[in-house]
Amino acid sequence: MVDGMPANGGYMIAAYTAAAVIVLTYAVALYRRGRRP
Amino acid sequence: MNHIRVGRWISGGALVLLAGVYVRALAFTPVERSQGLAQKIFYVHVPAAWATMLAMGLVGVASILFLMLKDDRFDRFAASSAEVGTAFSLVMLTTGPMWGKPIWGTWWTWDARLTLTLFLFFLFIGYLLLRSAVTDAGLRARYSAVLGICGLVLLPFIHLSVYFFRTLHPQPIVLKPSAPSLPGPMLVTLLCSVTVFTLLYVGFVMQRYGIAVVRDESEPHHG
Repeated sequence: MVDGMPANGGYMIAAYTAAAVIVLTYAVALYRRGRRP
Repeated sequence: MNHIRVGRWISGGALVLLAGVYVRALAFTPVERSQGLAQKIFYVHVPAAWATMLAMGLVGVASILFLMLKDDRFDRFAASSAEVGTAFSLVMLTTGPMWGKPIWGTWWTWDARLTLTLFLFFLFIGYLLLRSAVTDAGLRARYSAVLGICGLVLLPFIHLSVYFFRTLHPQPIVLKPSAPSLPGPMLVTLLCSVTVFTLLYVGFVMQRYGIAVVRDESEPHHG
């Protein structure tokens, strides 16, 4: 972290986590739907 | 079944590449000095927005082709693209406020860009609800095609809204008439992420299309 830079890394972590959760949840849901006989 | 298998391979590969994009964005892309680490949300928010626009654009194009040619494959593709677009629009609408709060000081503002984008999300939801509500396959395809074309018409207004109205949302820095105004390493990370989100879109749509094919063969009247 450079001096004078705003400390807002928490928002970045939250956004990256949320994006991963949504994409992975949808990927798993599609995978399970595709396996259904 | 082939669509499902190929789609799974593409999606799986894209998810691995997405992990690579995360590493590149978080560890190997410079931090923007004035915005701090929150600026890195850009590398998931913008590609998710791109995938959302791509999804709705192709829903609209497939809808027009369906109405012209009466080919069920276009209707099936439009339904698949709409469902995938809903997932990406959720990513866009989740990451946007998380970027806005530290930079603008507010999670949300009812300006033209944000409001139209939220409207696009509701169009996706409305499209999916319409498909599940209408039982007659022919009517369902025609009604949803009209809604899909409405979504396509909305896209230029969303893209140009930052020029026409006062808004907190920044203007495009890549998709604009002049050259991209972004330092090289940041532009490379963005383009990698856009490519991966596009691959994810392709993989997801192929899987969803394959599922629809299997379902239509077993239950011809299902949406």
